[in-house]
Amino acid sequence: MPSVTCATRAAFRYAGKVSEGATTTPVVVDGVWKRFGSTDVVADLSFDVRPGEVLGFLGPNGAGKTTTMRMILDIIRPDRGQIRVFGMPPGVQHQTRTGYLPEDRGLYRDVPALDTLAYFGALRGLSLSAARQKAKDLLVEVGLGDSLTKKAGELSRGMHQKAQLVATIINSPDLLIVDEPFQGLDPVNATMLKNLLIEQRDRGAAVVMSTHDMEDAQVLCDRILLINAGKRVLYGKVDDVRRAFSDGAVEVVGKQLPTSTDKLKAASDAVAYDSSVRYLLRDGATPQELFRELGDTDAEVERFAVEAPNLAEIFVRAVAGDDRAKAVA
Amino acid sequence: MNSSFARLVLLVARRDYLRTVRRRGFIAGTLLLPAAMALMFGISAFFSTTGSQQPLGQVLVVNESPVTLTTDPTLTPHVVLVDRADADAQLVAGSARDYYLVPVSWPAAPDIRRIVAEGAGANKPLSSIEALTLEQSAQAEIELILRLSILRDAGLPDKALVQLLTPTQITSVSTTGEPVTDASVLAGFALPYIFTLIFVLSIFITSGYLLQSVTEEKENRVVEIVLSSIPALPLMAGKVLGLGVAGLTQVAIWLATALLAIPLINQQFSLDVSFSAVQMILAVVFFCLGYLGYGAIFAAVGAIAPGAREGQQYSSFFGFFAVVPLIATPVFVSDPNSLICWALAIFPLTAPAASLELLSLAQVPWMMIGISFVAQLLFVLVAVVLAGRIFRATVLLYGVRPSLGRIVAALTGRA
Repeated sequence: MPSVTCATRAAFRYAGKVSEGATTTPVVVDGVWKRFGSTDVVADLSFDVRPGEVLGFLGPNGAGKTTTMRMILDIIRPDRGQIRVFGMPPGVQHQTRTGYLPEDRGLYRDVPALDTLAYFGALRGLSLSAARQKAKDLLVEVGLGDSLTKKAGELSRGMHQKAQLVATIINSPDLLIVDEPFQGLDPVNATMLKNLLIEQRDRGAAVVMSTHDMEDAQVLCDRILLINAGKRVLYGKVDDVRRAFSDGAVEVVGKQLPTSTDKLKAASDAVAYDSSVRYLLRDGATPQELFRELGDTDAEVERFAVEAPNLAEIFVRAVAGDDRAKAVA
Repeated sequence: MNSSFARLVLLVARRDYLRTVRRRGFIAGTLLLPAAMALMFGISAFFSTTGSQQPLGQVLVVNESPVTLTTDPTLTPHVVLVDRADADAQLVAGSARDYYLVPVSWPAAPDIRRIVAEGAGANKPLSSIEALTLEQSAQAEIELILRLSILRDAGLPDKALVQLLTPTQITSVSTTGEPVTDASVLAGFALPYIFTLIFVLSIFITSGYLLQSVTEEKENRVVEIVLSSIPALPLMAGKVLGLGVAGLTQVAIWLATALLAIPLINQQFSLDVSFSAVQMILAVVFFCLGYLGYGAIFAAVGAIAPGAREGQQYSSFFGFFAVVPLIATPVFVSDPNSLICWALAIFPLTAPAASLELLSLAQVPWMMIGISFVAQLLFVLVAVVLAGRIFRATVLLYGVRPSLGRIVAALTGRA
């Protein structure tokens, strides 16, 4: 049965209070279920997306990410549960405030890219002339100024990708949902489009980014949501998630670092390297306690880092059922 | 910014309309009928003017046979008997193009020679069609004078000869005594057939554009971007509207051509064909109903089909139903109140063609047309709703055909 988490209840209260204003929580998904045939593609999923953040939407193929994004955009409807977009059920009223870059995407092949983008902009609420001008400006900004009148069939894959991202942000959306936005791009173009996405976040847009590239997720996302078989597996700030999956080790760089744990109650073991010591935390001890205890010694700490696996490792462990995921699910 | 339903529908309609009417295929298809009409009248006018410009002159005949040839002012008014020297002199002088030589061997050997002047010949040059027409007329008189002379030589009286050789005139009349000509057969049978064919063709061409538009957006992976901006219902409604107006543009051009052509057809073939304003308006109404019904089906087919080719294959199945009333044209003309006609006028998939056929009959069965109208209207309402459900449930399935269960679930509103 669907359940409402404390976080989503709070988000709903928040959404309810300021539903008329621009600061309403862009997306609140609460206990949503969707079944195709005999399979629950999405099962009791809850999360929210806040203004000015990038939420990394992660999960293996077939986890239910695309279905969830389609439900947020009202392309399909959930069987159970509730979705709120800017405080209201998803619908045509939000389509001027949202932008969507699906994984399966394209442009009309025998039509100039500019015309297609102007059409998409008009569908997103701009006047045709304003949409055309905005499309022109953005295409120039992403380096496609020479290709305005080229038909989409004549554009390279990278050019296509840029034009599609332009289509997604043409209406300056408050909610941006992008599915594998940098797939197949060379590093130069990928960086350009990442910057474009960060610009959107920095101006206050909420961004939901689905990606299989964990490096991108680690760098770009403020929070992540990992789902598997339609269920939420991980949910939280990137740092919190990484910390939850750390092995309880802290790497300290500095001088006169103690190599025994006699004076360190927070550490159970210490291994010295050239200019650093790796401390293993005791059960229940926190890195902060260890940091304080080091302060009471003669040690001169230059760098103090909690060892944590990267998101790619966490992804694999969480999907495989690592118990530590429960702490941040 | 606004995103009202009507605005979105009009945006999609505008785009699909402009995109369709700018296609080379649409322009060529639309202009094909006026061009064919113009060509037909051009050829017809050419023949008629060439025939009147050059009447048959003297037909010179040189007789060297043992039979005495005699002319008749009624049967062979153009034949002039001359001796060979005179005929040759006329050829050289250019006052004649040819003459016919009846040799000594005739009638034992039935060979007649046509002696033709060398070079351009006499008078002004003739086109090959003019020359052929004159030659055929001349040879018809030669045939008559030869038969006349043999029979006269055999001793038949002149009165009997003229009666025998004068061509018989056959006039067709109906049981009530009214004249029935080939022209009225044309008006009674061929015109309803052509009228219906043109409209049915237009319904299918326009519905085909709708199918093409849906499968194209699906194949180009544009449909999901579009659906994130506009719900499925106004998207489908916009497509149906835009492409329907494109179809109406085509029909309007064809109707205007027909209205211009009908007086010319009447004049050319001695007909009295006319379509009233009511008939024309109703034809457009039935075009719209037919298009909406088939358009809804084709939109759903486009959403279900994994690709354009499969879409064409699935939709061709429905083409069969539209053809049935055309096959049954003789029944519509001879017995429009028959059970077959009633069935075809009520069954939704044959009703558009059947009602168009009924409209073009000399005696329009208004009651049947009214019932057909109601049947089609109900079908359109149901078809649009069901097609909308299928469209929404299946259009995002790329490269796979939805299962029957999923289609049924969509139809019943469970998908």
